[in-house]
This record gives sequence, C-alpha cells and structure tokens, in this order.
Amino acid sequence: MPPTTKPAPSVEDSGYLHDPEVQLMLRTRQGDDDAFSKLVSTYQDRLTTIFFHMTQNHESAEDLAQDVFMRIYRARHGYQPTAKFSTWIFRIANNLAINSHRGRARRKEIRLPAGESTSMSGLQPDDSVLAEKSALMPTRQIDKHELQIIVQKAIEQLSEQQRLTVLLHKFEGMSYSDIAETMEMTVPAIKSLLSRARDSLRTALEPYMQMGKETR
Amino acid sequence: MEKTVRLNADQREDLVAYLDGELPDDQVRQIDTIVSRSEVARHEVEVLARTWEMLDVLPSAKASNDFASRTMTNLKALEAPYVFANQWWYAPLKRTISIAAWLAALLICGWIGFEVAKNRIPNPHEELLQDLPLIENLDSYQEARELDFIIQLKQNGLFDDAQGK
Repeated sequence: MPPTTKPAPSVEDSGYLHDPEVQLMLRTRQGDDDAFSKLVSTYQDRLTTIFFHMTQNHESAEDLAQDVFMRIYRARHGYQPTAKFSTWIFRIANNLAINSHRGRARRKEIRLPAGESTSMSGLQPDDSVLAEKSALMPTRQIDKHELQIIVQKAIEQLSEQQRLTVLLHKFEGMSYSDIAETMEMTVPAIKSLLSRARDSLRTALEPYMQMGKETR
Repeated sequence: MEKTVRLNADQREDLVAYLDGELPDDQVRQIDTIVSRSEVARHEVEVLARTWEMLDVLPSAKASNDFASRTMTNLKALEAPYVFANQWWYAPLKRTISIAAWLAALLICGWIGFEVAKNRIPNPHEELLQDLPLIENLDSYQEARELDFIIQLKQNGLFDDAQGK
C-alpha cells in the first residue's frame, strides 16, 4: 500500500477563522472599511500602551501605532489568516519597535556626547531626580506616582526584547507560545527571556517592595 | 531538600514559568514539592510574584480621542488615486506649459510662413543676380561686337581674372 501523505491544511481550514478579529480582517480584505475601523478601535489603546512603554513618549507611541495600522491596511489584499490576528498585529508592532529603536539609537549616537547615559531618557528631569531620591531613601514612604516612576525605570533597564516580552505577557496576557510566535522565537527562548527579565526587575524593585505594599 | 538551598538557574527559570502557569503538569508537581520543602524557593516565588504585581502600577496609555478617525482619514488619503489637478504645482505648471505651447506654435507658424514665402513668391532680383557676370562685362562684350571673337578671348583666359574678382 503506498504511503499516504496528509495534505497540508489550507488557509481556510487553518482554525484561525474562528477568531472574530480574523473575520474582521477578512472583511477588510474584501473592501469593508468599517471592519477595519473596528480593528483600529480594538487595538489603538493596546498598541499605544505597548509602544508608550517601549518609547516613553506618547506622541511617538501613537505614531507607531498608526504606522502599524497603515501597514496592515496596505497589506490587506494579500492577507491570509495563518495566525491569530493579535499575534500578527503584535508581530508587526515588534518589527516596527525594533526599527524605531534602531533609528532612535542612531539619532542618539549623533546627538549625545559619548558616555552620556540614556537610561532615563523617557523620564522628565524632575522624574529622574525623584527616582534617584527614592533610591537614596528606600525606607521612606513613596506614593503611587513615585512607584510608577521606579517601576518604569526598572522596565527601561531591560533589553528591548525582554521589555517587549514582559509587556506582551503583562498587558496582553499572551501565553509563551503566542509571544514566541509574535517575536518569531522559540518557546524556551521566551521562557528564558522572561525569567531573566523578571530577575532584573526583582533586583531593581525588591528594595521598594514593602513601600509599594503600603502605598496600595 | 534543605531549607536554605539556593535554586539553580534552571530551577529559577522554571519558577517563573510555574508562576505564569506555563509548566507541564509533571514539572508543576516537581516545583510544588520544591516549594513546600524549601524556604528559599518559597521566598523566591513570593518575591517574583510580588515583583510581577508591582508592574500593575504601570499606566495604560490611551490613544487620543480622534486617533481612529485620524487613522482612517490617513488611510483613505493613502489609498486615494493620485490626482495631478489637486497638487499645488499643477496650476502654475499648466499655465507655463500653455504659454510655452503658444510661443512654440507661433514660432512654427512663422517658420512655415517664411519657408512658403521663400519658395513660392518669385524674387525679382534673382534673374538680375544670375545675369550679373554678363552685366558686369557688358561694355567689353559690346566692344568686341562678334560672338566668335569673345569665345576666342574666353578660351585664351582673358575673362579669368575678371571672374576671379
């Protein structure tokens, strides 16, 4: 009996068709702009939040979010539902974030004198002082705003990949396998990235843990 | 497991995955055992969980109220066919091209007119110009009176100097 080869599942049988956002995207492919408008409304804040924590700048975050929608809209004619819509959109966001980071890094190389720290680039000058002040006096009471700055600073100190992994897991509640698909990495790599990120965060935030508890 | 034994890197990695509910059942049971027996592991789990909770203070960023409408407008503009007539440079360019076209048409008409006039209208001076060598030597020809004599003079090269001039 000749060996039977199982045919690869077609895009239409891929299982992602049950995703309502995939359905919206398929409608967009057919020229339904209202469907796309719904997708924009669903993802605008989610993307802006991720980009905001990547860039520490609300305006840039919105610009990047808009860029993601532009790319998706332009690619709509060739859209094939080969992944969950959220995975696909955050993959595009990931690529954009990487490109944007490279662009910013290049600009900083030109603008900043060598050796100047950029770790606090996202914080206002007053915020930087605040964070440093809090670090010097870890036993004093800190309010929620201060804690926010401290956590933000801790997040900023993570590598780009670690930060995105943390944000996707924390804000989007993505599973390791979804994050792996989004970032085009393996699940063990994501597990390792998250573990290292959590370790760094723990080191940065442990001194403030008790104060954070009191603040809540 | 001893109460104070520190965890290795693999176990720490597993602890994070354990907290995230990303470990397979058999590994979850292993971690459960470790955590129940080791005070260090319990502390690790607690601190890691607490660190994760601290991220709750991070604010969610909200897109501007007009984000969706702005995005859709930009998308429409992106998709709209490129209409030359709507571009700022279209009107002045059109005017310049129109003036240039009229000038070119005028020049072409002028040239055609010149050519026609040159070829079709007879030039009264042309015959005179053709006969100029004869007119210039008319006195000499009249003095000679006979054509044979003139032909003989020409053969002797008498007129060569006069023609050369």
